[in-house]
Parts: sequence; C-alpha cells; structure tokens
Amino acid sequence: MELLCDVLDQQVLDRNERKTGKVDGIAVEIRKGKPPRVAYLEMGTDVLARRLSPRLERWLQRWRERSGRTVVPFQVPWSKVMKVHLTVDVDIDASKHEGYHVERWLAEHVIGRIPGAEISHEEESS
Amino acid sequence: MKPKDLLKITLGILTSIGGFLDVGAIATSAEAGAVFGPRLLWTLAFSTLCIIFLVEMAGRLAAVSKHTLADALRERFGFRFFVIPFACELFVDLLVLAAELGGVCLALQFVTGIAFRWWAFPVALLVWLFIWVGSFPIVERTTALLGLVTIVFIVAAVKMKPDWHAVGAGFIPSLPPKDAAHYWYLTLSIIGAVVSPYLIYFYSSGAVEDKWTKKDLAVNRGVAALGMGFGSIVAMGVMIAAATTLLPAGVALDRYEQAPLMLTASLGITGLYLFAASLGIACLGASVEVALSVAYLTAQTFGWNWGENLAPKRNARFATVYTVFILLAACITFTGIDPLKLTLFTMALTVVILPLLLLPMIVVMNDKKFLGDHRNGWISNTMGVIIVLVALILSVAAIPLQIIGG
Repeated sequence: MELLCDVLDQQVLDRNERKTGKVDGIAVEIRKGKPPRVAYLEMGTDVLARRLSPRLERWLQRWRERSGRTVVPFQVPWSKVMKVHLTVDVDIDASKHEGYHVERWLAEHVIGRIPGAEISHEEESS
Repeated sequence: MKPKDLLKITLGILTSIGGFLDVGAIATSAEAGAVFGPRLLWTLAFSTLCIIFLVEMAGRLAAVSKHTLADALRERFGFRFFVIPFACELFVDLLVLAAELGGVCLALQFVTGIAFRWWAFPVALLVWLFIWVGSFPIVERTTALLGLVTIVFIVAAVKMKPDWHAVGAGFIPSLPPKDAAHYWYLTLSIIGAVVSPYLIYFYSSGAVEDKWTKKDLAVNRGVAALGMGFGSIVAMGVMIAAATTLLPAGVALDRYEQAPLMLTASLGITGLYLFAASLGIACLGASVEVALSVAYLTAQTFGWNWGENLAPKRNARFATVYTVFILLAACITFTGIDPLKLTLFTMALTVVILPLLLLPMIVVMNDKKFLGDHRNGWISNTMGVIIVLVALILSVAAIPLQIIGG
C-alpha cells in the first residue's frame, strides 16, 4: 500500500457506511531510532487550507480566533482504519464524532427544521 | 439484450433528451438559425459526437469503479489540483442555473405577460421542492416524460418545408459568409451548450445512484449514443425552425421576445403555448439537473454524504448546497439580466473551462486502477484527444471572440 496513492484523497466510510469525508491529510509520527509511523488521518477545512497554502490556513485560524470559534479537528487514529481498498473504511461512528459538527449542526438547526426533511426514498430505489 | 435492459435504455434515452435540451441548446441553436440559417448544423453534429463519447466514459467509469467522475478526479490528481476545476465549475454552474431559471421565467412571461424577473423566486421554489421531496427515479422520469413536448420543434421544422439541400450542406463545416466573429462566437456557444460539464458530472452521479454495475455497460452505451443523439435532433429542429422563420423575417433574435415566432409561423397561437411549454419544461428539468449536479460535485469533492434518495436530514450539507445555490441563482435571475444574452455568454464561458475537466478525465479513463480491462480503447482515446485539442484551441480563442462577436 502506498500512502499517497492509495490513502490520500480517498473516500472515508464510517462503520455504518456513511460517507464521512475524504482523507484530506495524513499525519506521520517521526520517532527516534525507529521507523516513522502513521499516526492518524485528518479531515476538514483546516487541513485542506494547509494543503493549498500555509497562508490560507493562517487566515482561516485568525478568522476563527477573532470570531471566537474553536474547531475540533476531525482526526481518525490509524488503529481505527479497518480496510483500504477503493474506500478507506474506519471503525468510528461519524455522527457522534466531534469533528462532524458542521453536518450535525446543519441537520439539527437548518435542514432538519424544514418540513419534509425526514422523507427518505431509500427503499423504493433498491 | 434482456427486456429489462431495453426498459432501462428507453428511460435513459428519454432522460438524456431532457438533459441535453436546456436553455443553452435552445438559445444557441435558435440564434444560429436566425442569423446563419442551417449553416452551423455541423457544429451541433460535432459537439453531439463529443458529448456522446464523454457521457459514455463517465457512465463506464461509474459502472466499473463505482466512483463518480469527481471522486476519481480528486483521488487521481489530489485536492490541490482538483480544487481549480471544481471552483471554476461552481462559478459557471451558478450562471448556467441562473440562465435555466431565466428560461422557465421567460416561458411564464410569454404565457402570462408578467415580466420574467418576478417569476425568479417562485420558479426557484418549485425547482427546490422538486429536489427536496422527489427521489432520483422521480426526478429522472418526470423530466423524461415532460421533455417529450420539445419534439414540437422537429414538427415545426418539417412543417416549414426547409430547403433540404441547404440543410444537408449545413452538416459540412464551412467558412462564414459574413460577420466571421459572430459566426465563431456562436460556434463556441453551441459547443459550450452541448458539451456541458454539469451534464457529465450529473450522469456519472446518476449511474452511481442507480447502482450501475459492469452488467450495465451495454445500457450505458445505448443511452449515451441514442439519448444524446435524439436530443441533438431536437436541437437541430430548433435551428432549422429558426432558419425557416426568423431568418427570412430578418429577425436576428437580438431580443428574446422574438423567439416564439419560430413556432407561431407554422402553428399559430398554439405555437406560442407550445413554445412556452417546451422552453419552460426543458429549462425546468435542466434547472433541477444543474442544482443537483452542483450538490453532487461539492459533496463528492469533500467526501460528504450524498444521494437524492436519502432524507435531506441524512445529508444535511448536500441539501444545504443545492438550497443555497438555487437561492443565489434566483437572485441573479431576479436582477432582470437578459436571459438570452446571459445564456450565450455562459455557454461560451463553459468552453473556456472545458479543458480543465476533459484533460484529467481522459487520463483517468486510461487508469488501470479505476477501469482495469474497461479502459478507453483507441477509438475513445482518439476522440478524447480530438475533443481536448478542440477545447484547448477554443478556450484560447474564446475571450477575444467574446469581446468581438458577443
């Protein structure tokens, strides 16, 4: 398996097969006298901004500090990764994860308040 | 081929006619017919051939790899690259959606006499409701069936007894008789209208929504070729109808109010209602597809949960994207900007960003990791190279042509 080829930018599925995000970043731990080790996968705007340019990331952080927001980075420890094949399957429940706050907030406060937000067509399609 | 496959193909063909025929295809074909007669039919034919190949590739990618085009492009080229075509696509799609909504609003203006801008928000609400409440099959089938009304353009074209020799000659590329800049600007706009990236993204997401597998590859080929082909014939009907009515009357279609003349000449007052119905329905279907396409593209770029069959609450970010996007586009339509001019401009702009999508797409279509033995063969690759080259040349020529010819 090659990290950059097979893991970075892949679709992440949680244990309920919910599309959780893409592998936006991979954190590698450098250890003294031992080979480096993959620590965790990272998702979210901060790491994406960092990939585009460090300046963009600084802007984003400054804007967050000014507006008083703290954002928990969406990190998944490598030990939770179950399978890497076309998708990266991880053993977490995204809907309960702190890093999933935007989706959860929108679902509870915006989309969920509009009538009909619960109407699903999953069964008729399969 | 099994009967079930035939049903799938028929349905797909109908949907594709709906997807093919939008405000862009109608406006560019009508304007071309009004100014240059059937001379630009070759552009329609060529761009139809291009979109057939591209849509087939997008469907094959989805059926074989279970990846949508956006998924595959981000995976293959990384976020740093993909963010550029993604951002360009969002911007162009916003203008396209504003133009499509404008098309529906114009149709309502023709029927009610109330100025089109006042229809912007009611129409936006209708489009949104359709997506909010509907499922993917509902969206597919409704646009498909209602889209059949556009066949009236073919009827009108034949009824006006066009000069079939001139029509035949139109399929051979020719140099402009006059006003070269306008001729090439229209060529550009037609290609942009037919080879629409939103359609390619939408089709690949639709194939995943419909859970296509390798068994559906034959269906995919049939749908791509016949669906786009029939859509193109209707667009040709628009061009010929415009050529036989607007051109002799000296109407250069510089004002959108003149457009219904295309059908009223042969069908009388019924023609006005049929024109309004065709324009309204084609643009309504296209609005739904553009809005969904944007939500698909954004969700797939960032890996969010997506699917038209899921309850909106289960994919809140996906639902937020199309909700906000429809609202923004309605604001543009509400400004009262001329829908016809906006359409021609947007279609030419589409060509500028086309190479950004097509070049990486051809690379992915040759990637063993995604497609294994179903990679592009030499025919698809030759066609792919031709499309990319034409798109590159046109995108360079587009900006000066916008200024001189538009």
